[in-house]
Amino acid sequence: MYMHVNFWGQEFKVNMIIGCIGGFLIAVMSSMFGFGGGPFMVPLMTVILGLPMYVVVGSSLLAIFFNTAMASGRVISFGNTDFLLFAFMAAGAIIGGTLGPQIAKRLNPLWVKRVAVVGLTILGLMLIGVIPAPR
Amino acid sequence: MRKIVLILAFILIASGTALAQVEQPLIVEQPLETVTISLDKAEYKGGDTIKIEGKAPLGRPVYIEIASEARVQVSRLDSRRDPDTGRIPWVFYQSRDIPALYMILMPEVVKAGYEIEKAKGRDWSVSRTLLMTGADVAFLTPPKGEVHRWQASVMATITGSKGERLAPMTEEMDRRRTMPLIKTRFRHIENVFSPTIQVKEDGTFTAEFMLPNNAPSGAYTVIAVVDEDTKSAPVAFNRDLAFGQLYFPRAGQTLNAIGPFLLAVAVCTFGVTMGAGGGFILNPLLIFIYGIPHAIVAGSVLPSVLFSQGAGIANYTKIKFINWKLGVGIGLAMLAGGFIGPLLTQFITLEQFRFLFGWILLILAGIMVWQTTPGFLERNKRENAILKEFKKKAEEARAARLAAMEEAKKTTEKK
Repeated sequence: MYMHVNFWGQEFKVNMIIGCIGGFLIAVMSSMFGFGGGPFMVPLMTVILGLPMYVVVGSSLLAIFFNTAMASGRVISFGNTDFLLFAFMAAGAIIGGTLGPQIAKRLNPLWVKRVAVVGLTILGLMLIGVIPAPR
Repeated sequence: MRKIVLILAFILIASGTALAQVEQPLIVEQPLETVTISLDKAEYKGGDTIKIEGKAPLGRPVYIEIASEARVQVSRLDSRRDPDTGRIPWVFYQSRDIPALYMILMPEVVKAGYEIEKAKGRDWSVSRTLLMTGADVAFLTPPKGEVHRWQASVMATITGSKGERLAPMTEEMDRRRTMPLIKTRFRHIENVFSPTIQVKEDGTFTAEFMLPNNAPSGAYTVIAVVDEDTKSAPVAFNRDLAFGQLYFPRAGQTLNAIGPFLLAVAVCTFGVTMGAGGGFILNPLLIFIYGIPHAIVAGSVLPSVLFSQGAGIANYTKIKFINWKLGVGIGLAMLAGGFIGPLLTQFITLEQFRFLFGWILLILAGIMVWQTTPGFLERNKRENAILKEFKKKAEEARAARLAAMEEAKKTTEKK
């Protein structure tokens, strides 16, 4: 049930039952809707599993990678990948991945988060239908 | 007795020839029951209006079917309770032969029937519209495609399967099953039906159809239909792409290439800045702005996430910042999740996709609000300080390792 993890000489005890159930649910959700599950994985591993941030940053990414790789194979086999659209999105991901951290350095992370909260809330309410949205 | 039989036989033969004589004029009349149709051009661009002219037998309603040669895959899970048996069928339908653009133009006289169906909003149905307006006769192209069926179940879904493959259906059943798939693809009645054909007293008719900007490129067929036996010869036209336009084959629509590219760059840059990646914002916007089917949106964005994750893993591996035991342990559970998720995307409707996605975004917003509370920031500050220290140590260790390797190399070279 518990797994002992050694990270840079420090020993941590991880509840793998909670970790695996939580990881499974986040994987179903993120592969179903087509995003990486990072913002959900990090709270799961820090708050619920009680691991410190420096253990989580790299390992959560590795865990998510398993999910994304499997799900990518599945969507391609189902014929749901438009490769032209994928090419555009991949270009966006690569450019955003290089520009994003540069911009982040110059901005106050607190304000970036606040803007993101407002944006996500509006988008979420539009999707649910509380705020009028294109049909 | 014999005479009577003979007379009866004579009457029969005589009436037979008389019937034949009655049939004769019908055969002669046949050529009159023709429909002709012509278009004003052979090639159109997006936004162009196609002017259709033709002539049909007097007093008969005429329907025009416009279908693109480009086809798309459409899936649908039938979860509507059967009114007779009271059971939910849970049958998954999929066809790869649905025209990417499909339109049936109808005469103005059937507008009332169309309006009744349109007033039902989301509950409109293709089969009812076809019956009420008489457009059934023009529903020709979709039934030509194949529809596959699976009996879905919870057990099958857990094992990642669409369910048990069901035997092919009769032609009539197949025809009926394509109708809900047409609704799934085009969603709104005005995208499939339009009661705008003007029929004049002499039997000639005119109609106009504006080819949407996102209409697929390539060949289209247009056919005018009066009834099952009375159709025009199909007329073809071509949709040309303007400079910068591209046809997205799985999405089944033409888009200006710059739009999605700029959107992806802007959203991904912002996503990375806020620390959540692009998918959360990109997917709803692709649905809102371009109306791309949700399964295609998820299926095209997801593989692109691999790039940023792969780059991140490569960076963390260099400084030995990944615990492989922990990552692989939870990763195996996530592997199972990633096997099932894409299947569920195909099972849900656009409305369900939007609703669930909306709540996910609200929860994410909640998490981010919590991350801006003073308590979290205080804790985060400490954690970040430790993280920085660890990273520094890790970088130094890596530099030392590299230096040692360099040294070892030099000594072996000297020897």
